[in-house]
Amino acid sequence: MNTNSPNNNPRDIAPERIARVLTRAAQQLDDDTVAALRRARNVALQRQSLSKPVFALSTGHGIRWLMPHSTQQWVAAIILFVAILFGGLSYWQHENDLSHLDTAILTDDLPLEVFVD
Amino acid sequence: MRNLVVIAFLWLGLAGTPAGAATTSWRSLAPAQQEALAPLSQQWDNLSEQQQQHLLKTAKRYPHLTHEQKKRFRDRLEAWSKLTPEQRNAAREKYRAFSKVPAEKREQVKQMVREDQEVKVQQSASGVPAAPPPVQP
Repeated sequence: MNTNSPNNNPRDIAPERIARVLTRAAQQLDDDTVAALRRARNVALQRQSLSKPVFALSTGHGIRWLMPHSTQQWVAAIILFVAILFGGLSYWQHENDLSHLDTAILTDDLPLEVFVD
Repeated sequence: MRNLVVIAFLWLGLAGTPAGAATTSWRSLAPAQQEALAPLSQQWDNLSEQQQQHLLKTAKRYPHLTHEQKKRFRDRLEAWSKLTPEQRNAAREKYRAFSKVPAEKREQVKQMVREDQEVKVQQSASGVPAAPPPVQP
């Protein structure tokens, strides 16, 4: 068995050792590789800044992510607001009419049985 | 300012939903509400939140009623609340239709109902049943 050679099993290598090896290897990279890595890093950074608004919720900006960001979003938000307002008002109006009607039925001089089958 | 707009949105959303409120216990009602809804005191706590809110709205007009109307309101309230929602809706439709009938015709119907009731009262006073007696369980 190869119990005496722990380096063969990646789980047995100490993380500090891996870091040391990587640092040493990075110092030995040739210029082309360094330039390619720098380009790749810049591309990755550009992509990240493009997708920033998506992660706005988790960046400590509070409830700003709820706010409309463009004119279209503002228009949509206002339409939604008006629709909710209108829905609420008509529900309230309907409820009011209904209770008014109920009071009338309960106090009419005709008995309830006339209206109930 | 922007945050205020957002909060206004959320508040409207929450306040607009009738499910937002919980049921109200009989003890927490105002004395005027308890007086109007007295016939329902026993079953009040078991009514649905929606039904409670509706009854409270209906009871709001109670203080402005005449003595006779108040009596009718209390006498009919229990029977009214025991109807199914469909029966109540049908009764509302009937009432709405009846209130569109010309006044003189409405008066004729009222007169007929009054006479009918008087006959029933006389029959029950003289011992003659107005309708077949209910079957005893």
